[in-house]
Amino acid sequence: MRNVPALLRRELNAYFASVLGYIVILFFLLVMGVSFVSIIGELLARGSTQMTVMEGFFSWFWLPSLFLVPAITMRLLAEEKRAGTLEMLMTAPVTDFEVVLAKWLGAVALYTLMWAATGLYVVILRHFSGEQTTLDLGPIFSGYLGIVVIGQFLIAVGLVASAMTRNQVTAFLIAFALLFLYLIAIWFGYYFTRGTTLGKVFEFLSAFEQMNDFQRGVVDLRPLVLYASGTVLALFVTTRVVESRKWR
Amino acid sequence: MQPMIKVENLTKRYAGVTALNGVSFEVQRGEIVGFLGPNGAGKSTTMRILTGFIPATSGRVEVAGLDVFENSLEVRERVGYMPENNPLYVDMRVSEYLKFRSKLKGLPRGERKERIPEVLEMCGLTDVSHRIIGHLSKGYRQRVGLADALLAEPDLLILDEPTIGLDPVQIRQVRQLIKGLGKRHTILLSTHILPEVEMTCNRVIIIHHGRILASDTPDNLMKTLHAGGLIQVEVRGPGSEVQAKLRAVEGVESITAKLIEDGCVRVAVTPKPGDDPREEIYQAVAANGWTLRELTRTRTTLEDIFVQITREEDEAEEERREQRGSSLR
Repeated sequence: MRNVPALLRRELNAYFASVLGYIVILFFLLVMGVSFVSIIGELLARGSTQMTVMEGFFSWFWLPSLFLVPAITMRLLAEEKRAGTLEMLMTAPVTDFEVVLAKWLGAVALYTLMWAATGLYVVILRHFSGEQTTLDLGPIFSGYLGIVVIGQFLIAVGLVASAMTRNQVTAFLIAFALLFLYLIAIWFGYYFTRGTTLGKVFEFLSAFEQMNDFQRGVVDLRPLVLYASGTVLALFVTTRVVESRKWR
Repeated sequence: MQPMIKVENLTKRYAGVTALNGVSFEVQRGEIVGFLGPNGAGKSTTMRILTGFIPATSGRVEVAGLDVFENSLEVRERVGYMPENNPLYVDMRVSEYLKFRSKLKGLPRGERKERIPEVLEMCGLTDVSHRIIGHLSKGYRQRVGLADALLAEPDLLILDEPTIGLDPVQIRQVRQLIKGLGKRHTILLSTHILPEVEMTCNRVIIIHHGRILASDTPDNLMKTLHAGGLIQVEVRGPGSEVQAKLRAVEGVESITAKLIEDGCVRVAVTPKPGDDPREEIYQAVAANGWTLRELTRTRTTLEDIFVQITREEDEAEEERREQRGSSLR
């Protein structure tokens, strides 16, 4: 693990030395800003509701997950393979896993950073909500925790996709398909099997259901274990795919 | 003394293709060895196996006495490698890139601070150390790759086509640099440019279709494979008569002649093996009262040898294939 700090630094530099990092963040803030405004408008029009603004806001998490996570991860390994820099990297005294781990950490850092920027919305809410309503910060924190816990797994999945090809567009499409399956298909599975045992399995796996708990302030150990194991598995698979040049 | 590189019976098969077929060779410490072969001969594959990027299908490969499969990380610490096409992170600045690479290679901070300016200086990069690699010319990028390979003062330098794509001036500079490095490092470099090997290497390994065809010093290869070389003669005199006389000279194996303008004839003489009939040729010309305009012995070049060896090999292969075909029938 000796080389992870140097590799991670290179990853972070790569995001901000190129325009890619800025474009991803810009796009994200644009989409999230628009949804934030529309949620407030909606809730104001409806009057009092069961939902807080931030709950409404967090429930949109799937949208950037589905599009921006693949955009962040597509480049990571595919581009190194295409440009041949993977050869230069892997012939230094560095293990394949160190490289994979650093790439994942870098992407998680960017992802966390761009969500952290939406913390400004909380400040805005607080400023304009006046004295009579106080903002409950607990669920907001746990909501953000959920965003990161689920997001780091989605990024690991995107990394698998990036390891599979040397073409960034292909990597994006594979990642998009995998995330679509995970986010949308599993939710549909849950929707149609509610009440059955299978429905329980789908409910546990569904990111929407897990996010529901997180944004209401429920932090359970089970989803944390679920997503941590998912990530470990995905990083392991990525390492094997990178190594596959050795047994082909 | 233990050889720097020891390759025994190395074979590499990709899906259906045999890239290397039972290759064995050794490189001693301090040697500069040129790996010579046409494109697709197996040079890059051998180098990638030596640096642990891909494993061999079978065979044994050792660098500095360490097995490259079992002690991959230790081997990589001892090797400076410049892959084919010299891939670099084009978004980084030169000094930034070298800093990153020296961290990966495990250079401690203090050493890093001394070593980076040193290799920048050695490779003539000091003036561009703050430029972004992607904005540099190909020659400079090549030097960045070389600087990277040199960072950890490796025992062994493996350079895959270090001068490809450079202009003649840059090629000269890189060759000079490599030659200078030979004093402190063992170097294995690959190329398909023959003069490069003649100029920089102590030893040549010729590889073709995944097999080693020859391994010797450039001089020895020329001696054993094609003694004598050709003799060029240009004479002012009657064409057919000149040819007849020259063909009769003792020590001449065969001639090919070409008439050129205003009554001159140009003849390429192949001497009998071991003979040098230049004096006899002069006498034959003088005795007939013709004017000798030129008499030169052309040294066999490595290029001739290379073409000859690979052609022989291709013919042998063809024969083997035919025999196999006929035995099947």
